[in-house]
Amino acid sequence: MLLVNNIYFSRQSKTILKDVNLSIPPKGIIHLTGNNGVGKTTLLKIICKILNPDDGEIFWNGKNIKKNHYDYCKNITFILDQNTSNENLTVYENIIFWKKIFSSQIKINEIESILEVLGLLEYKNTSTIHLSFGEIKKLELIRLIIEQKKLWVLDEPFIGLDLKSVEIIIQTITNHLELNGMVIFTSHTLPTIPNINTVNLEINE
Amino acid sequence: MSSFNSILGVFLRESKIHYRSFFNILSIFLFFILSIIIFVFAVGSNKELFNQIGVGIIWTIILLSNTLSIKKFFQNDFDDNSLIIIHMSGLSYEIIALVKMLTIWMFLQAPFFIVLPIAFLLLEMQFDNLKIVYLSFLIGSVIITCISAISGSMNLLNKKNFSIGGLIIMIFSIPVIIFGVNIVNVSNNIEIIKAQINILLGIMFFFLAISPWASGLCIKISLQNK
Repeated sequence: MLLVNNIYFSRQSKTILKDVNLSIPPKGIIHLTGNNGVGKTTLLKIICKILNPDDGEIFWNGKNIKKNHYDYCKNITFILDQNTSNENLTVYENIIFWKKIFSSQIKINEIESILEVLGLLEYKNTSTIHLSFGEIKKLELIRLIIEQKKLWVLDEPFIGLDLKSVEIIIQTITNHLELNGMVIFTSHTLPTIPNINTVNLEINE
Repeated sequence: MSSFNSILGVFLRESKIHYRSFFNILSIFLFFILSIIIFVFAVGSNKELFNQIGVGIIWTIILLSNTLSIKKFFQNDFDDNSLIIIHMSGLSYEIIALVKMLTIWMFLQAPFFIVLPIAFLLLEMQFDNLKIVYLSFLIGSVIITCISAISGSMNLLNKKNFSIGGLIIMIFSIPVIIFGVNIVNVSNNIEIIKAQINILLGIMFFFLAISPWASGLCIKISLQNK
């Protein structure tokens, strides 16, 4: 279970997040909404320990994440709204790199099936620099399957995807929740996922 | 075990990326050779003079060549967010910096061992001194890599001014130049050579200790400000 407790964050004397509280139990999903600039991505980065809050704490299974960084990392996947694959490597090489660093048990034939479902199999040996925005986004989302973590933190996961791919991702998220997974995501559209909990962030003056 | 896998994964990825950018790496060594040739043309063929100042020329141009490769350290991984992904595999920023230093040394420093005899040939220097230059370069290249890692990570904090990285390398490399060059000048006195090597080793261990920490800190701050 993830517990976000009294998070405060400011940048250049501007308060971005003020007393944010969240909890995500197993099978829980939170949809963060709010206007541009309210701090949705900032909150996700704080949850992923990329940013340090000015105040407040985050607990993973009852332990403060500051004290169990390694264990926390083993349980969290962060999909950014930007590309994280290396443009000099092919689709397949990027996937193998992720598989290696996250010590994933996923098999090569499983990877190929995912690539086929997402329509990326024909680009397997293509450098990611030659992929379209939507194809890169799909490649990023493959990390969800490769990493096999409990908590998925997704920043705008549906941007740039065609309808078929959105459906696949929604189905993947639903399956993950059924397996006691947890999801927190930002999106300006409301996907049809059962038992979704929407949290609206507001601008702090 | 999984940390080892992550380190190995990063190492293999870095190696592959460097291998792919072969022509970029080649350009660094071409810069080195061409600079030596320009020096020879500028000064003229003077065997005696080059035997006196040749090692100084070589070290200076190695240093300048290194400023070309600063951007290769962290900038691309910073821009494409892969530093975040690697960090989320459980590796600390310090370990990431250390692995990158190792690959940079392998791909951008170690090839100088092949290029150095060419420089000796062009400058008509005595090949008796090559062994001692190799030894000083073996230690000095590690120091330069460490300094480049620090300046490369500091560049992430300052996106507008890339020349600062080059300046940092040059300032901190002054001791390396002094002792690296002096070793050859005193090559007939084994005791002084030993003393100079020990000083270089001391500098090397100092930078090996601080550079992953300093680079890690710079990466962390720059990601927080991104």
